[in-house]
Amino acid sequence: MSMTMNSARTNCLPVLKRLRNLATVALVAVGLSGCGYNNIPTLEETAKAKWSEVQNQYQRRADLIPNLVATVQGYAKQEKDVLTAVIEARAKATSMRLDASQLTDPEKLKQFQDAQNQLSGALGRLLVVSENYPDLKSNQNFLALQSQLEGTENRISVSRRDYIEAVRVYNTELKTFPGLLWAATFFRGNKPMAEFTANEGASTPPAVKF
Amino acid sequence: MAAQAHQMCASLRNNLAVIGCAVLLCVMGMAASLAAPTFPALTGRIVDQAGIINTETKVAIEPKLQALEEKSGIQFVVATIKSLEGGDIETYANQLFRTWKLGETKNNNGVLLIVAPNERKLRIEVGYGLEGTLTDALSKIVIANAIAPRFKAGDFGGGIARGVDDVITILTTDASEWAKRPQIRAEDNSSQLDPAVIFIAIFLLIFVIAMMNRNGGAQQGRWVQRGKKRVFIPSNSTVPASKGYWTGGSSSSGWGGGSSSGSSWGGGSSSDGGFSGGGGSSGGGGASGDW
Repeated sequence: MSMTMNSARTNCLPVLKRLRNLATVALVAVGLSGCGYNNIPTLEETAKAKWSEVQNQYQRRADLIPNLVATVQGYAKQEKDVLTAVIEARAKATSMRLDASQLTDPEKLKQFQDAQNQLSGALGRLLVVSENYPDLKSNQNFLALQSQLEGTENRISVSRRDYIEAVRVYNTELKTFPGLLWAATFFRGNKPMAEFTANEGASTPPAVKF
Repeated sequence: MAAQAHQMCASLRNNLAVIGCAVLLCVMGMAASLAAPTFPALTGRIVDQAGIINTETKVAIEPKLQALEEKSGIQFVVATIKSLEGGDIETYANQLFRTWKLGETKNNNGVLLIVAPNERKLRIEVGYGLEGTLTDALSKIVIANAIAPRFKAGDFGGGIARGVDDVITILTTDASEWAKRPQIRAEDNSSQLDPAVIFIAIFLLIFVIAMMNRNGGAQQGRWVQRGKKRVFIPSNSTVPASKGYWTGGSSSSGWGGGSSSGSSWGGGSSSDGGFSGGGGSSGGGGASGDW
């Protein structure tokens, strides 16, 4: 009995050893990179990159506003209230920047969103008011600015959609297998990111008629 | 004891197979994508789903679109759709653009002219790489001056033909863009191997694991008590393998399935002779209009 056992052991051991070595290498390489070790940091960086794109587009809109205000002022000086509201909302929105590291704080994101929504509302009113000035409406500069503003609003909504999707994928990774295991061990500091609540006012471009 | 040792060998192999399957599942899970409305297939440079472009117009603009891509690499596609399915044209156009992947991956130089006659909306969606040339303002001018007035008169073919002409003129008159392009394209080809290298690496890994499975397979079988002797019975004999075992045959067919589905992941570039997107993307550039 012991003879057969020994022979069986010697028969198996080298194979076992080789298998073990190969298995260790395969386990480390495949297990770590193939099965989700990289997913959490990668998805986190993707979501952060999408966020900076969102912020970029909001900045782009803010950059268009001084020009727009100046053009409207030339034709509609008496609309002081609306113009001031736009300038103030812009100042408030641009003073508020959200670092990628603050994205896990829903409160901060809400403040950012509120400031931008306020600017969207003020801009919408400005465009409605400008309908009353035929000279302004046919001004080439104004028309160009309007189409740029429209384009920027659309880019904002696209980048917001991309960010929401990236955050969804990242948060799902943190909560599902196998990301769940990595989140509980190596990436304990990684918190789910705050999601934008899709807001009608900000995601639909102001209606512009030609 | 001996049986235990063998079981250990086998369980190691089992573990490997399980890990392999898990990896495959991980990779396949990554391919899951965003839910979107149903899009028409990209059958050519003109996708006339709504059936509003007459044959003469198609014959007239198709060569222009083809010449544009041959000269500059810009993929310009005209699409008409039956329904926006309740969404707005901006979202639909952007998602369709990204589904079709118009333009080259590196340059994102695609343009999509999309018309939804039932909603009376149209849009020029511009890829990231052309936003500086075909700006929002220029797109709007093309829509307002060249296309919308003809659509209003019911002349869809004429409006689209004129719009295509104007967009091509805008895209091809920016000399600084033209001068740079041949260089950019040459660099592109050299770096296009990257995904292929990754696939080769994955296949190598699969191959190594499969080899290890095969090595184990020579030993596969089980120990059976025959009278006073313990006899090793290979699993390819008539004795059925015990439940916990993965036979060599079934595991290798499993891998075969994985690799054949792998070949479909590589799709994207135009190798089948038909027309397809080059991998470009859009971030919502361009302009919309109605009539």
